[in-house]
Amino acid sequence: MIDFAIYSVTVIAIWSVLALSLNLQFGMTGLVNFGQILPFAIGSYAAGIGASLGYPWWVGATAALIFAPLFSLAVILPAQRLSQDYWALITLGAAEIFRLTMLNTPSFAGGADGLNVPRFGDSLTALYVSLGLLAVSFFFAERVSRSPFGRMLRVLREDEVLASTLGRNPIRYQASISAAAWIMAAAAGVAYGHFSGYVAPTSFTVTETFIIWTAVILGGPGRNIGVVCGAIIIQLLGVSSRFVAQWVDLPSDLIANLRLASFGLILVVMFIYRPQGLIPEAREVHDAERD
Amino acid sequence: MAVDFVFSFQCPEYFVLQVTINSIIYASEIAVIAVGVSLCYSILRFANFAHIQLAIVGGYLAYSFATIPGLTLPLPLAVFLAAIATGLIAVLIDIIVFSRIRHISAEGKMIVSWGVALFIRSMLAAIYGGSAKVFDVPTEVIVCQGGIFTTLDITVVGVTLLLMVLLHVFLFRTRTGSALRALASNYELAVTRGIPGDRLIRLMWFLSGALAAIGGSLFAMQTRLQPSLDLVILLPVFAAVTIGGMSNVFGAVIGAIVLSFAQNFLIWIDFGSLFFGEPWHIPTQLRDYIAVLALLLVLLLKSSRAGGEKK
Repeated sequence: MIDFAIYSVTVIAIWSVLALSLNLQFGMTGLVNFGQILPFAIGSYAAGIGASLGYPWWVGATAALIFAPLFSLAVILPAQRLSQDYWALITLGAAEIFRLTMLNTPSFAGGADGLNVPRFGDSLTALYVSLGLLAVSFFFAERVSRSPFGRMLRVLREDEVLASTLGRNPIRYQASISAAAWIMAAAAGVAYGHFSGYVAPTSFTVTETFIIWTAVILGGPGRNIGVVCGAIIIQLLGVSSRFVAQWVDLPSDLIANLRLASFGLILVVMFIYRPQGLIPEAREVHDAERD
Repeated sequence: MAVDFVFSFQCPEYFVLQVTINSIIYASEIAVIAVGVSLCYSILRFANFAHIQLAIVGGYLAYSFATIPGLTLPLPLAVFLAAIATGLIAVLIDIIVFSRIRHISAEGKMIVSWGVALFIRSMLAAIYGGSAKVFDVPTEVIVCQGGIFTTLDITVVGVTLLLMVLLHVFLFRTRTGSALRALASNYELAVTRGIPGDRLIRLMWFLSGALAAIGGSLFAMQTRLQPSLDLVILLPVFAAVTIGGMSNVFGAVIGAIVLSFAQNFLIWIDFGSLFFGEPWHIPTQLRDYIAVLALLLVLLLKSSRAGGEKK
């Protein structure tokens, strides 16, 4: 039981980091990233490939933290001056391309069989690493959120033209926040790789991206504590479904599908009835005279 | 015949013919699904990702109508009924979900459409299971002038042509079609001039759902029916729609044709001999790369035209 609790908290911490990362992009800046699983996959695969080439863990981790922001720039720069629908398409395409590349290069990335990654020494190390990562990410996201930089991101989200008239270059803000967010997600990916001991293309599909989206929309886009709560609720639903499968004696893949269907339902229902999420973003009011 | 067959593999002209045939078949499959995405985008201004799932729903319904014991309908009738049922499902989804969020931003609608897609996909997987279903289509191989295709291929291309002509006649030769186009070009103005916007939006959903179902059934007959078929259809369809300019219905058809020819010819061309002297082809698994690269190329061209297309 205690093992299962440790496992659950680790999973929740890792997915909370992903939700925070998406929140920096979508919640704060308004960037619709439909390939949020991509930096996560980059992190996991960097850990996996580094290990399969015989390097110590920090080589893979460093590679992940270098490649993730580079990929984010490669994805975001072509999309500048385009509306968000196109950005969604590009990120979605990029994530699928990465998954297909890993699937089609068996000699390098293990193909459909995936790669083995050395596990953390024991489950407590995994727990501490994930919680540490979550703490750092949360602190960073909060700092950004409260800084002038974060306020400018919100201006960008509401009105790009207004941001430009204030003398700010939208694409520089968007590029730097997504590079930072992707580093965060890649670090989560490295931790996940070492935690699960195994990376394979099936873990990084469009569906996983939408599990992260469900967490952000449920929790409250733009509010860090909200999206962490969202991730906790969604992942609790996820890990508890194995108990449900035992109680009601239904095949586990049926339960898994019903769980995903409920995520879809949560996403739609939240958007219709409570688009601000469970814990809405606080509206800041500043008085120029008094500040 | 057998001699002819061997010959066709040696003579490049015959190969060009074969690649052209393959391109036309693939373009037809993509086009029927892509026009629905464009129809929706032209009026409601958002990329509807749930459309792909409607195609899969159509495929599964057609499969059910054709195979459920006691109901084994002939395949054309099964597909027709599946198209009507999927059209109604699309209208139902609009009533339950999309009609409530007409006022929110395009990004919001797009995210909701993903939620709907996730829901439909999981329900399909829960009901039908993840294993592949195969349509039992009687088909014959035809070898003609060195080109090889099947009677099923002819049906796919024929049905697509017929649907496109019907859609064109509907949109450009009937009053209702003109009204739909008016909504697409300026929604507010059209509604002020007395066009019943809500009713026509429902009609648009019905049409795009029905087209998706037919496209999905055709696609499934050519390959296999699986919940994961959506990932196979997704990228080429959205690439075709983007190439065609998102809101232009017949642009999506052109996009499908351009994309299909690009994919098939790029895979066929022997780049190795051209550049390095040794035969080397782009592996066929890289079809989707070509779709995404085409998408990126179009978007780069768009963004270099600075600002004009923006929002």
